[in-house]
Amino acid sequence: MTFYEPTRNPLIINRRRLMGFLTGAVAAGIVTKSEALAYLQDASEKTGVTAEEWNPETINALAGTREVDTEADLHALVPETTEGTIQYWNVGPTEPDPQITKDLYQEFQDTFARYYPNITLENQNVGYNDMLDKIRTAAAGGAAPDVAKMPILWGVEFAARGDTSEVTLEEFGWTAEQFWPGALKSVTWDGKLYGVPTNNETMAFIWNKQIFADAGLDPENAPATWDDVVAYSNQIKQETGKNGYGMVAKVNAGNTPFRFMPVMWAYGGSALDEAVDEPTYETTMINSPEGIAALQTYYDMYVRDASVPTAALTNTQTENQDLFIAGEIAMMISHPSEYVAMQGRAAAATGADKERADQIVANMAYGLIPEGPVRRAVVFGGSNAHIMSDAAHGAPVNRDAARALVAMLTGPEWSLKNNWTDSNPANLVGFETKWMKQRLEEIAFLEVTTAMLPYGIPFPVVPESPEVMNIIVPEMLQNALTETMTVEEAANDAADRINALIASR
Amino acid sequence: MAIAEAPALAGRREPVAIPARETLGHRITRHWADYLYVLPALLVMLIVIGYPLIYTVWLSFHATPPRTGEWVFNGTQNYQDILSGPRFWRVTMNTIYWTVGSTLFAFILGLGAALALHNPFRGRGVVRALLLIPWVVSAVAAAYVWRWILHSDYGLVTGMLKSWGVIDRPLILLDSKSYVMPTLIAVNVWKEFPFVMVMLTAGLQTVPEGLLRAARIDGASTWNQFWHVTVPHLRGVILITTLLLFVINLNSFTLVWLMTGGGPANASQLWITEIYNIAFRSLQFGMASAFSVILFIIMLALGYFYVKALTANAPRREG
Repeated sequence: MTFYEPTRNPLIINRRRLMGFLTGAVAAGIVTKSEALAYLQDASEKTGVTAEEWNPETINALAGTREVDTEADLHALVPETTEGTIQYWNVGPTEPDPQITKDLYQEFQDTFARYYPNITLENQNVGYNDMLDKIRTAAAGGAAPDVAKMPILWGVEFAARGDTSEVTLEEFGWTAEQFWPGALKSVTWDGKLYGVPTNNETMAFIWNKQIFADAGLDPENAPATWDDVVAYSNQIKQETGKNGYGMVAKVNAGNTPFRFMPVMWAYGGSALDEAVDEPTYETTMINSPEGIAALQTYYDMYVRDASVPTAALTNTQTENQDLFIAGEIAMMISHPSEYVAMQGRAAAATGADKERADQIVANMAYGLIPEGPVRRAVVFGGSNAHIMSDAAHGAPVNRDAARALVAMLTGPEWSLKNNWTDSNPANLVGFETKWMKQRLEEIAFLEVTTAMLPYGIPFPVVPESPEVMNIIVPEMLQNALTETMTVEEAANDAADRINALIASR
Repeated sequence: MAIAEAPALAGRREPVAIPARETLGHRITRHWADYLYVLPALLVMLIVIGYPLIYTVWLSFHATPPRTGEWVFNGTQNYQDILSGPRFWRVTMNTIYWTVGSTLFAFILGLGAALALHNPFRGRGVVRALLLIPWVVSAVAAAYVWRWILHSDYGLVTGMLKSWGVIDRPLILLDSKSYVMPTLIAVNVWKEFPFVMVMLTAGLQTVPEGLLRAARIDGASTWNQFWHVTVPHLRGVILITTLLLFVINLNSFTLVWLMTGGGPANASQLWITEIYNIAFRSLQFGMASAFSVILFIIMLALGYFYVKALTANAPRREG
């Protein structure tokens, strides 16, 4: 297989060039001056994504500089004549997703069938909020698929239980330099690799400029801090009657921690100690004064000001999309794909609804996620491809076919195409392809979400992470927001539960 | 067959043959062919009911750390942890509230509908068919539709009441700790009352018209006819229907899970949803099994009464 050496290094910009770029970015309103300085000082040590290497300028310069031949590379790795059946579970597109996402999803399967005519790919698209329960149950019962693509948060739990197979990057034709260190960390357990990253992304802050203007706020700038978000949300509610911030606090919905943890980290708290430079994952900081302050911002918006959707306790981002396109919420955190998703919804609307939806799409703006007293933060998200263990699969996994599938999923072409509107290729060579160039030209606001990458913080790389993030953190929010407990009691209760989990290791 | 002395009947003293109880072994020997016919079904039941049951009970005596998936025998620790935790009792209260509320109101509404539709009138069949719709609608579809209708921010109910000027703030039902259970019960009653209606309609048709006529001739009021003639005849059907409904509601999962997931802040968490949470979200299969066994014992007791009610008036078949 072709050995792809990422060529981004020559593009590392020196401090002067970066300052020049950042000056431009400040002028363009993408970042503020203090943020620009933070770029230089705070390149994330947790993810290995530095602003010097990964910024809109370098990404644009890299795009389209390399040709790849996926078919030839795959066949050099796994012969075309390989036979068998392979089950593959993944979180695929749903109805609200952009058409291009659905088309590329189908194209991937068709292309794999063309590359490997003797391998039957049994693809199963599982809903995001159902996948974890389903694959846990299947693995426990020896009925897991051969290969699964799972969100970044879940992998270590399966690895610790022996449900996923140990792999090496070399068996797929890759090297460690082709992935961000933070991405590789999410598939590493006990010093061994149990998967390969397929895509990585960070979200950004989205707002409706028209509602900002109606509320007497500056429509061209996002709130700079989380305190500003609380104030803006209240002002929007008071002035327009619409909801300010699109809060999400549903239990066991991945959307919840992705939107709350950036606030928690920004204030200096964390679920364990994942936000510090050398995390041990042995202690919780969720009930530290900083963690309580973060929870208080949610309480203030939901209870004190009632400036967010009342259904936040049962809403996921899907409901937020409905509210945003209906002009009922002004701000939210989401992927770059949100713009395309909104365009799709506007296109599907009719009559007066369409007119309103078109206006809302025209008034969508993206910016950096606000900062807190301690830092600016965002979840370093993404997904990984895993080959399940024979025990979890209930029979010997077809390893050759699995290798072919995982190599295709994590290669420069399909790690990009499979995540066209909502993420970035985990295989960094993907940034150098012509498809990346096309993406940059076609997808609005991609540069803003990319600019958030250096602020990415990965979820704790421990098996307890899914329970902490999907259950304990959302239940803490619900306990505080329904006033079942005070903010402090809710944080302490969450800390007790996390400590009990740590103690049970 | 054993011959025994029967008690005196109408002054006559004649020996009456009373069948002696046969042991299971004797019965199998005597009717081996019959048992052979049902053996495959018994084997299937043993596999699909017996094995999981024994497995669950055995698992309930083990700790199953999520990180390793190992089984570590811990005696009755899981039971002690469940019964000593405040969460169990909170979930139990929710479950009782849900079960009693749903059963009671579904019964009252179902009885009312059955009585209203008992006497013939033009279009009765159409009305009956319409009232059956909630019962035949899939629970999943019903849950999603009701969730949309009751959504606090863009629900149909909030939207209509706002447009009529009845309210100026969203009507918070599923997101309110206080209103979530009554709301869920209302949806469940809507879903279940046709079942009661069908059962009681069948029961009403067995009430002898002659008795009702006789009561009317004797001057009984409508209420007295209902209370002293109709209800005694319906007693068996009422008992079976309510017991069945009680057990169904005790085992409810779909509506609650899809509409609230047990929230907000566990305000609508029921036994079954809690067991699901413990098993598949916290991955404590041993603990979830212990919880299931506790529920199984309660259900077994209810099942006993159900079977007893079913067989109360049935003649005993021998041989």
